[in-house]
Amino acid sequence: MSWFEIQPLSRFTGSNAAIRRPREIACFSYDDEHRFHPDERSLRYYYPPVLGADLSKGFDTFKQLDDTADDHLDGLLKTILHLEQRTGTRCAADFITWRGMMTKGTIFIEENHEHKVASRQSQHSQPSHFGGPSQEMMSFWGYKFETLSLIPDTWDATPRDVIENRENEVVNNHAQYCSIVKTGIGKAKLIIGGEVDAVWDSKPRNKNDAINWVELKTSATISNERDMLKYERKLLKFWIQSFLLGVPKIIVGFRTKDGILERLEELETSGIPGTVKKKGKGSWDGNTCIGFAAAFLDWLKATITEGGVWRIRRRERSPVIEVFKLEEA
Amino acid sequence: MGVPALFRWLSQKYPKIISSVIEEKSTEIDGHEVPVDTSKPNPNGEEFDNLYLDMNGIVHPCSHPEDRPPPATEGEMMQAIFEYTDRVAAMVRPRKLLLIAVDGVAPRAKMNQQRSRRFRSAQEAKEKDEDNAEFAKMLKSQNGDAHEFADSMAQKKTWDSNAITPGTPFMDKLAASLRYWAAYKVNTDPAWAKVKIIISDATVPGEGEHKIMEFIRSQRSSPEHDPNTRHVLYGLDADLIMLGLGSHEPHFRVLREDVFFQESKARTCKICGQKGHMAEACKGLAKPKDGEFDEKDKALPLKPFIWLHVSVLREYLEAELYVPQQPFRFDLERALDDWVFMCFFVGNDFLPHLPSLDIREDGIDTLIAIWRDNIPLMGGYVVKDGVVNLERAQLILDGLAKQEDAIFRRRKQTEERRDANAKRRKVEQENRNGNRNSTGGPPNGRRKSPDYSTPAHMRGGKVREPTGPPEGLQLFEAGKGISAEQKALTHDMVINRGAVYKANLENKSAAAALKSQLLKGTLGSEASSNAVGTPANDEKSVGKSNDLVNNGSSPTTPASALGKRKADLMDGDDSSTPGMNTPDSTTKGQADSDEPAPDHVRLWEEGYADRYYEQKFKVDPGDIAFRNSVARSYVEGLAWVLLYYFQGCPSWTWYYPHHYAPFAADFVELDKMKIKFEKGRTFKPFEQLMGVMPAASDHTIPEVFRPLMSDPDSPIIDFYPTEFPIDLNGKKFAWQGVAILPFIDETRLLEAMATKYPLLSAEDVARNEKGKDVLIMSEQHPLYEEIATTFYSKRQSSPSLKLDSRISQGLTGTVEKNDDYLPQSSLTFPLAETEMPSLEEDHSIRYDPHSLQVVTIDRSSVHFEIPKSNHMHKSMLLRGIKLAPPVLDRSDIEATKGRAGKSGRSFGGA
Ligand SMILES: [Mg+2]
Repeated sequence: MSWFEIQPLSRFTGSNAAIRRPREIACFSYDDEHRFHPDERSLRYYYPPVLGADLSKGFDTFKQLDDTADDHLDGLLKTILHLEQRTGTRCAADFITWRGMMTKGTIFIEENHEHKVASRQSQHSQPSHFGGPSQEMMSFWGYKFETLSLIPDTWDATPRDVIENRENEVVNNHAQYCSIVKTGIGKAKLIIGGEVDAVWDSKPRNKNDAINWVELKTSATISNERDMLKYERKLLKFWIQSFLLGVPKIIVGFRTKDGILERLEELETSGIPGTVKKKGKGSWDGNTCIGFAAAFLDWLKATITEGGVWRIRRRERSPVIEVFKLEEA
Repeated sequence: MGVPALFRWLSQKYPKIISSVIEEKSTEIDGHEVPVDTSKPNPNGEEFDNLYLDMNGIVHPCSHPEDRPPPATEGEMMQAIFEYTDRVAAMVRPRKLLLIAVDGVAPRAKMNQQRSRRFRSAQEAKEKDEDNAEFAKMLKSQNGDAHEFADSMAQKKTWDSNAITPGTPFMDKLAASLRYWAAYKVNTDPAWAKVKIIISDATVPGEGEHKIMEFIRSQRSSPEHDPNTRHVLYGLDADLIMLGLGSHEPHFRVLREDVFFQESKARTCKICGQKGHMAEACKGLAKPKDGEFDEKDKALPLKPFIWLHVSVLREYLEAELYVPQQPFRFDLERALDDWVFMCFFVGNDFLPHLPSLDIREDGIDTLIAIWRDNIPLMGGYVVKDGVVNLERAQLILDGLAKQEDAIFRRRKQTEERRDANAKRRKVEQENRNGNRNSTGGPPNGRRKSPDYSTPAHMRGGKVREPTGPPEGLQLFEAGKGISAEQKALTHDMVINRGAVYKANLENKSAAAALKSQLLKGTLGSEASSNAVGTPANDEKSVGKSNDLVNNGSSPTTPASALGKRKADLMDGDDSSTPGMNTPDSTTKGQADSDEPAPDHVRLWEEGYADRYYEQKFKVDPGDIAFRNSVARSYVEGLAWVLLYYFQGCPSWTWYYPHHYAPFAADFVELDKMKIKFEKGRTFKPFEQLMGVMPAASDHTIPEVFRPLMSDPDSPIIDFYPTEFPIDLNGKKFAWQGVAILPFIDETRLLEAMATKYPLLSAEDVARNEKGKDVLIMSEQHPLYEEIATTFYSKRQSSPSLKLDSRISQGLTGTVEKNDDYLPQSSLTFPLAETEMPSLEEDHSIRYDPHSLQVVTIDRSSVHFEIPKSNHMHKSMLLRGIKLAPPVLDRSDIEATKGRAGKSGRSFGGA
């Protein structure tokens, strides 16, 4: 067992670890039945939703993905294999992971699926506060907001009726478009896969140009200081998720406590840490996050020197991250 | 759009849509003119991305300017066009794109109006030339010695502005000149290094403003289009603002000359004390410096320009069109399209307006009231992306039909009251003037027979007040002195006016009026030193005749008659409102006469519809099916116009086959109608020329075709009548009436022309071909490199290149290589006779000055193809739009809402 000390955080603050601009190297799609396709058929485009929409509408017909089976990194790896076959070159990276996690010569990082399913179960079984919406409803609101905000093709190619009928569409979270990007944090080279919600305009013709991805998020309307702090912490999640894949724009749909969509806000991902620092309460610091990630990945690379299945674990409130081998190669 | 007074109506009802343009003028240092540095920030406080020029709105005014004699040569004409274009470009300072659109061949539906205009103007030109010659002869005989002015007058042929039509040699030269201008600009002016210029000349089919709209729609349909692009459209037509609305791009302004400048300059803004706007439109801006050094106004004040803010009109209409508590969501974009639809009923270039709707009677308000009242019944909007819901349109027309009789009766009452008032005022005035006014002329002159028997200044400086001035005109004020400008103008009007607009001024040309004066003997032998009244319209202006020999270069500003000409220009042809005044069908000769013919239709009396169809359409009053068929054609027309505005021309061959509109009551069972358009093909330039030109303008057409217009044995001689009736249809002036010209039968025209095509010269054949848009840019533009490597590197790849908007800085489309180019060529002005600066090494374009053909186009000029979408263009805002902060305040909005609840209901609700 090896461990990585989290504290003191201050040692990461001035690290200046460089981040390489994420570049999409491949993508894949899950269709409406959650079948895998190594193409971009599930790419969606953003067109703003109508304000005043009820995010709860259609909860009873929600076609929810059953994700209790562990997919591991299957989709991601299949696509990379596909790419390697097509190009005849190996995708070199230190780590391959899903966004939200961070693969040897590559270390593959995946989530502990069992643990996730178990903890979600316990969360959802908790009764909601004060007769407010259930956890299931709140997670539905997120998908509903996506359904309201997405169109299947460019604006020009999408018929008016499709745009206007989004409120009545059955919410279905089976389909996904996943982007696989190459990036780097500090000395570590990473390949990260992740679902992206939409593209703002269209994928650029030149593969080297950045893609104008859009991430869609919902949040409760901010009405007091406490909400503000909560929102600011949420922004940290929004920011990390988005910058790792190179998503430049986040659109937040603010909703009332009853799930009525009230207002939209467009956030530039790159501006979030600055905003939190200057205008917010400064509850987190972007540079520290990047410095931490760079140092940890560097340490991880040095620690995991042989094949096998390893586990990365942080116990609740623990000051260290543990790494240990589960299975021999 | 042929809606007289539309602009005035808009600016009165929605005053805040207008603001004045802050223009920086060139300065003079040590006698050198220092042009405005347009790379500096725009003094209007906002930068603009794209400027679109509806070029006919520049070419026409330049062919007969208000402040100087008309250009003597085509080279001078081009120079004037360059200057005007420079001025407009310097006001707007487009940072990304300039699109210059010249009218190409128009849809058939428009050609009927063009034909009518050109036949009239040729008739006027002919009369004027004859008058000039005769007048000169008369001057000579009466004056004895040969007179320089008389000679010049006799020789002066009116420049036939009918040459401003696709397919004429003039249009070729114009196109070449514009390319020269654009290349010169991008090569020499650093402010233009990053601006792309697209020129859509007359060889590219379509009306200029509609080519512009097609371009905007094409860019909108590209996902890369920036929804916050700031557009400026320059042009003269009052309906450009509708096109602006219809683009659904809120950052949109229309730019135009302030045609009402004369009257607004007399009054300054009560708030800021500045000229050019009224208190209602005051933005509280600081007085703009005249250039960097706040130099003195130049001796020759240029007519100021104004902005029409589409964004502000959107605010007004949002308040006006919102009907609360509907089961469907209010959609401003859809409501705006409905509003444009209703405006079309009141006037457009393709259909005569409904007899019961007149802009001056607030016809649009009547329709808006009907629309608001019917929203609950309709359950949605009438128009969807340019497609009319006929069931709902029927409801609107039913609403109007219920009020029709009352509208006609009210019109008559108003008319009678106006006449009575006018009569009373006249008597009063005559009493005041006493016997001073009795020196000559008929004692009871009618409004259309001005009294020229005594020069006005001899009548105690009083000019008779006109009894019913058409709206939108300013008048010479009675009793006021006449300024030097006006005198010069008077001179200018006498000798120099182009005939086209003159035709619209009055039934009599200025020379004809002078002639009548001479005939009455008042000018006599003192013609060269006495005063001459210029009866260019109702209101009379006076000038001393020494102006007659002035050199024509004195600074002038437009005065009343020209103001009117301009107002007319912007409003286009009038379409008549029957029953507005009095007369009925009359020939041209009758229109000139003092006594208006009696109106036999009498819309205010029962049975008017029978009389209308019998007299105008020559059909049996009992033939109701015919009336309904006219109404169906009309509805087809409305559907056509809407598609034309919102999607692009749905049919090049469709047209409304009548000279008159039906009554609202004639529209029945529209919901059962199926409307489908055949796209058809565009006319070729020569076909269009043959379709719109009168024989008198046959110099614009290749010689081989001319006999078809004049030879008595020509199989299509009936298309070219030299005399044709003008039905005043209730109006006062011939130019407001309906020219009863036979409609062109396309098959017969093409058959007749087919026999002549083999005889055309190669040059003419080339001029009859469809052309392509041209894209010109400086080699400093990043796109230059892209195009150069694609087309001109060692391994040349494809012949066309799809533009990457990230490199082109927003422009999407395809460019094609132009095969004939010579590198390292020089740029010279294409018209050999005129001095224009040349460039040693042009990086854009080269012309052969002898043939006037563009012989080479360098790398930075390529053919541009507008991207075509296979989808309907949706009337929606684009994602990412950031609307400008509102201009209207609470009270404006409340007032607009309040009016919307009340107005338009004077004839009973719907
Ligand atoms: Mg036009």
